[in-house]
Amino acid sequence: MRHYRVGLAIVAALVLIALTAPLLTALEGQDATGFHPELVNSALGGLPNGALGGISADHWLGVEPGTGRDIFARIVYGAQVSLGVAIGATVVQVLIGTTVGLAAGMGGRLADGLLTRGIDLMMALPELIFAIALLVIVPAGFPRPLLLAGVIGVFGWGGTARLVRAQTLSLRTRDYVAAARLAGAGRVRVARREILPGVVAPVLTYAALLLPGNIVSEAGLSFLGIGVRPPTPSWGQMLSNASVWFRSDPMYVIIPAAAIFLAVLAFTLLGDGVRKAANPRTTGAAS
Amino acid sequence: MRTSHKVLTALVPLAALLAACGHNTQDAQGAKNSTAAFDPATCQGGTLRVLNQGDLTHYDPARLYTSGGGKIPTLLFRTLTTRNRVPGPDSTKVVPDLATDVGTPSDDAKTWTYHLKDGLKFEDGTPITSADIKYGIERSFAPELPGGAPYLRDWLKDAQNYGGPYKDGELSSIETPDDKTIIFKLRKPEGEFPYLATATQFAPVPKAKDTGVDYEKHPISSGPYKVESFDQSKHLVLVRNDNWSRQIDDQRLACPDRIEVTAGLDPAVVNQRLATGAGDDANAATTDVNLGPAELARLGSDPQLAAHVAHTHFGDTTYLAFNPKVKPFDDIKVREAISYAVNRQTVINAVGGSQLADPATTFLPDQAVFGYQPYDHFPAGPTGDPAKAKELLAQAGYPNGLTITLTHSTAQSGHGPGVATAIQDALKQAGITVNLEPLDPDSFDAKVNTPATEPGLSIDGWGADWPSGNPFLAPIFDGRQIIKSGGNFNLAQYDNPEVNDEIDAINKLTDPAAAAKRWGALDEKIGKEALTVPLYHSKDLLLFGKNVKNAWVSDWNGLYDLSVMSVK
Repeated sequence: MRHYRVGLAIVAALVLIALTAPLLTALEGQDATGFHPELVNSALGGLPNGALGGISADHWLGVEPGTGRDIFARIVYGAQVSLGVAIGATVVQVLIGTTVGLAAGMGGRLADGLLTRGIDLMMALPELIFAIALLVIVPAGFPRPLLLAGVIGVFGWGGTARLVRAQTLSLRTRDYVAAARLAGAGRVRVARREILPGVVAPVLTYAALLLPGNIVSEAGLSFLGIGVRPPTPSWGQMLSNASVWFRSDPMYVIIPAAAIFLAVLAFTLLGDGVRKAANPRTTGAAS
Repeated sequence: MRTSHKVLTALVPLAALLAACGHNTQDAQGAKNSTAAFDPATCQGGTLRVLNQGDLTHYDPARLYTSGGGKIPTLLFRTLTTRNRVPGPDSTKVVPDLATDVGTPSDDAKTWTYHLKDGLKFEDGTPITSADIKYGIERSFAPELPGGAPYLRDWLKDAQNYGGPYKDGELSSIETPDDKTIIFKLRKPEGEFPYLATATQFAPVPKAKDTGVDYEKHPISSGPYKVESFDQSKHLVLVRNDNWSRQIDDQRLACPDRIEVTAGLDPAVVNQRLATGAGDDANAATTDVNLGPAELARLGSDPQLAAHVAHTHFGDTTYLAFNPKVKPFDDIKVREAISYAVNRQTVINAVGGSQLADPATTFLPDQAVFGYQPYDHFPAGPTGDPAKAKELLAQAGYPNGLTITLTHSTAQSGHGPGVATAIQDALKQAGITVNLEPLDPDSFDAKVNTPATEPGLSIDGWGADWPSGNPFLAPIFDGRQIIKSGGNFNLAQYDNPEVNDEIDAINKLTDPAAAAKRWGALDEKIGKEALTVPLYHSKDLLLFGKNVKNAWVSDWNGLYDLSVMSVK
């Protein structure tokens, strides 16, 4: 239970940081996209002046090599993208997964068979490759974070659907469901009024565990250069730019890596806590 | 040639299409370091390893797009002329290779005559004749063997619709009156024909050994090495050609007994291996991996490593290209405002800082051989002049600024997102809001190089096929080179009869020095129209292994030369 509180505290802090990014950068007196050529050494390939990647009273986490952009500002704005995309993707996964899972569980033998094969197919798809293909063909004008959330969500709902279907199959044989049906309730009504409340708890638990995975997916796609577009910062994109600098400016790598690590760790702890709270007697069954 | 193009990977590092300018002092030092213990008489032996990033594509002389005969191709294919293999500014000169001189022009530089040296042989011992050279050129017209430079089709008489020897027989504009003589008939004066004759299309191909598209599996060598094995896109192993000797070739030293090329490596891996120099890597070099900004930071603190770096030039310019057919860029005041607003310092930092690029205010690279004539029509200083830009915008009718779109390639090259965001930031100071339109490299080329779809503003680069003003200015500013169907590089879609006439007049000159002067003046004149905003001329730094000697850099292609390097 202790871990879960730590997770919650960090998640709350990260969400707060993301929401107050403009305020925080104003407090620091910097912005996320302004170039500062005077803070880097052009003759050394754009290495930031000063120790630890140019950390100073004006630039709390130093500056980016080459551009001299403020890393603190980019990290807090990056939190908006990373958390926003991860949460958005999780919502998409839960919505599609629950709908398909419910339909499969409640449908007849044919519908169930078709939908289950559909779920299998979805889970068998090499998610990353399809996501890359999709991200490349969508026109540049489309809002990037929305697209990322959609793409990660659309390719990642298979697990939720399976969970919901299994839960539905077990719930539909319960007496209270049978009673509702005898009372003349239609399938849709039964699904909505009797089954859905019963799957909410496991789905929420599962969603909490999906979130850290989605943070990593966003970071991965941005790392590959197909995530959010510059100059919008994201943690994955920062890590990608930083990867060649690991020797000469280690702080530039450590900072976005630490941000991703912290977010994933916090959401995992929180998800674990939710799972235990929802189902105190079992360990490890919900997912 | 367009520097973001993949053809260039055969010539210079792609990430590294950063070259230029007068760094002769650095070169002299580089040459001293690497030639200290070098003696051509005793340099022979050992295995030179080449670690490259770009794939080994087609080793067919018809399909290679090279400058001055290429880096690796020149080890296999001798051509009528070649680049001069000496350090320093003289390396931009053309010298005879298979021919006895660089060519005799007649008929106003519309006819060029060459005579072959004595004793020339293929790797199988058969003598090389003028008919073999004619056949090699004819093959390059075959649609099955695409990839070479476009000049031959444009320049040679009756070649515009010629389909190669397999389909259309012989090409009448190349004559071979005897085994030693070859005469080229051009449809217009071309004083720079000797430069073109350095291309691998001018390498001899024995008709009896031609296997069409399979010829690249074992091309017949006329140079110091022959192919032992070729595993496409991975490995190429070259061994000595016993029918070649220094008596019949005064350009190549051919020191190593064996040259092994490994391709498709990660650039960071190549640099790490060359820097560490463990085992065989001490005998290694690269022809296409530039030092990146992150590695530059290491050089400052490691003088031993710095001794194994070649400082190179390759004449190229990265620039903002306007399409004046698109509003608001039809207004010269808007174009001038953007010229004043750019911050070259942040652009240069975005591509690796002052060691990898110099600010550019001229379209021609800052090397004398191109005809470089300094000018700065819209002096923005190193960091831009937003006040002046705002003033011009107000005059143009945009007192409250304006919003424009900048199209750029997503490739992590010298014209990628880094430069685009630097421009975006600089223009913001002048009240210009820049929306970025990133396109993957293929879509970028397709869109930007087709006049009908060309965006108003894009980031482009241009490098020279040979060190002269013609291949730099003509494709960009000659109105007759606007290609409606795609593959257009005249991005301003500029068609000025005066400029066209001047290009024709300079092409008649056969004295490179006289031509260079006129190219420089022409560049200065066109620059006043603000059709481009030159951003930077790039420079390359290349590592080589610690046992490698004689690794001086040629000003022709901005690289050290495998044919004169030694590992002994």
